[in-house]
Amino acid sequence: MEAEAPSLHLESGHEKLLRGEGGEAQQLAMEILVKVGEAVGAESLVPIKSAHVQADYIGLHESGIELLERFSSSGGKFGVPTTVNPASIDMGNGGSFGIPEEFEQKQRRLCLAYARLGGIQSWTCVPYQVCNFPKASEAVAWAEANSVVFANSVIGCRTNLSMAGMDVASAILGLTPKFGMLLDEERVARVAFRAPSGRFSDLDYRSLGYFIGRNSGSRVPALEGIPRDATSDDLKHLGAAAASAGRLAMIHYVGITSGSGSLGEAAGGEKIEKVDVSRPDLEAVEGELNQTEEAPDLVALGAPHLSISELGSIAKLLEGRKLKLGIKLYAYTSLQAYEMATRTGVRADIEASGGLLSQGTDADVSPLKAMGYQVVLTNSALLTETLIGDGAAQVRYASLSDIIGEVSE
Amino acid sequence: MSSRAFKCRVHVGGTASGEAMFSRDSFTFDRAVDPRTGMVLDTRTGLGGASIRGKVLFYQLGKGSTAASSWLIEAIRLGNGPAAIVTERLDLAAIVGSSVAGILHGKTVPVLSGIGARVFAKAKVGSIASVEGDTVRVVMAD
Repeated sequence: MEAEAPSLHLESGHEKLLRGEGGEAQQLAMEILVKVGEAVGAESLVPIKSAHVQADYIGLHESGIELLERFSSSGGKFGVPTTVNPASIDMGNGGSFGIPEEFEQKQRRLCLAYARLGGIQSWTCVPYQVCNFPKASEAVAWAEANSVVFANSVIGCRTNLSMAGMDVASAILGLTPKFGMLLDEERVARVAFRAPSGRFSDLDYRSLGYFIGRNSGSRVPALEGIPRDATSDDLKHLGAAAASAGRLAMIHYVGITSGSGSLGEAAGGEKIEKVDVSRPDLEAVEGELNQTEEAPDLVALGAPHLSISELGSIAKLLEGRKLKLGIKLYAYTSLQAYEMATRTGVRADIEASGGLLSQGTDADVSPLKAMGYQVVLTNSALLTETLIGDGAAQVRYASLSDIIGEVSE
Repeated sequence: MSSRAFKCRVHVGGTASGEAMFSRDSFTFDRAVDPRTGMVLDTRTGLGGASIRGKVLFYQLGKGSTAASSWLIEAIRLGNGPAAIVTERLDLAAIVGSSVAGILHGKTVPVLSGIGARVFAKAKVGSIASVEGDTVRVVMAD
């Protein structure tokens, strides 16, 4: 029996590509989008302004290399500006970070395929902070869940979670199936959370995001009571935590998200369930994510990539202090923020304390176990969630100031 | 033993049967399943240490990274994919994973959504499930 009755309407140009009249790469891309579009009941394929694609070998595997090389060896080119997510190796110093050589070679093949396809070699999970700037209401097709949440919730553009495989097909064709977050009715908030009052630490934002991700189910959530001094970095980490814990592509930040000036607007005038998040709720998240009391051998700051201002905060906290013996500290960031940190002296400051900056990769796409780490200390709920998932490393979850206080003197 | 049939929404069609596995938590293939063995690594699912290979995998909701689809593609490529995937809510990762595996490797697994939450409450180890068209049949173990 076939999948549900195809409702997907293809324009004649799309049908030509499907028949192979645009070459092998476009045909393969169209096959993927048509299959996915039909499977989700999309009515059409619509143009996008940009794409963002998954690029790490740890997530893409041999199948991912095969798909990328099929596209690149058959003359494929990205049809819209396409930024790439972090690699599984440091893009400045590669194997010097202790990555096994065979693993590095696999990643290099993915990098080469992306170069041939014309990808913008951003190697970042926060393209919206460095090199990919959509405007409100336009459609894009982005991979990387934290970017998707930021795109829909803060920028106000429209994207589904462009899953690996589908992401590259969209980038080649500049098209995406019209469904889900591209439709007004699917973007309406169906559950509302209220943040607890009082000051928020870096960890509170992440724990709140995790709580929202855990408790939204398949409903688009709204969030009220966000502290006035919340930065876009705070929202980045909140969204990343939420997307790691649940399957969500958007949070209506009431008073921030375009068109969601009030809860009523976010919910389209409907009455929706309201959940007051308490301080004990956030502590419960911390308890759940904190998996060990053991001393760390790696402090991983990032996941998602840190901005230049976050790197500056770390440098400040480390000022006049040295990391304790046996502890590595990596701050994961984009190539651009790395460059700015170098020029402004922030990198030198962090290095003076014994910490290191790693560019173009991130802890959640690194083979931490193969690199020899056993206990990871982080303030990233996303990284913690990932590490609990495969159990490869023990993980502790703490605020940045607690972390620096513990691992340096 | 009780047998029940559920009408579901078909995303990727096909026929399959096998032992039923019910995740008690949101599910992702990213990191939480080893594609080289099919083994579930995330113990929060209640399925830790069991293999999805040849099983009918049930979960309510997907979660997490957009890489999840490629973990499923790799598991299917290596012959370690599930026999079918049945979810309560549409999971794009499963849909894309199965669809792209079909195009790239000539192997898909049926993906259906819309099974009610109640079946998860009654889930028992040792149950059997089958998928045919839009019908998911579960023979629940006693």
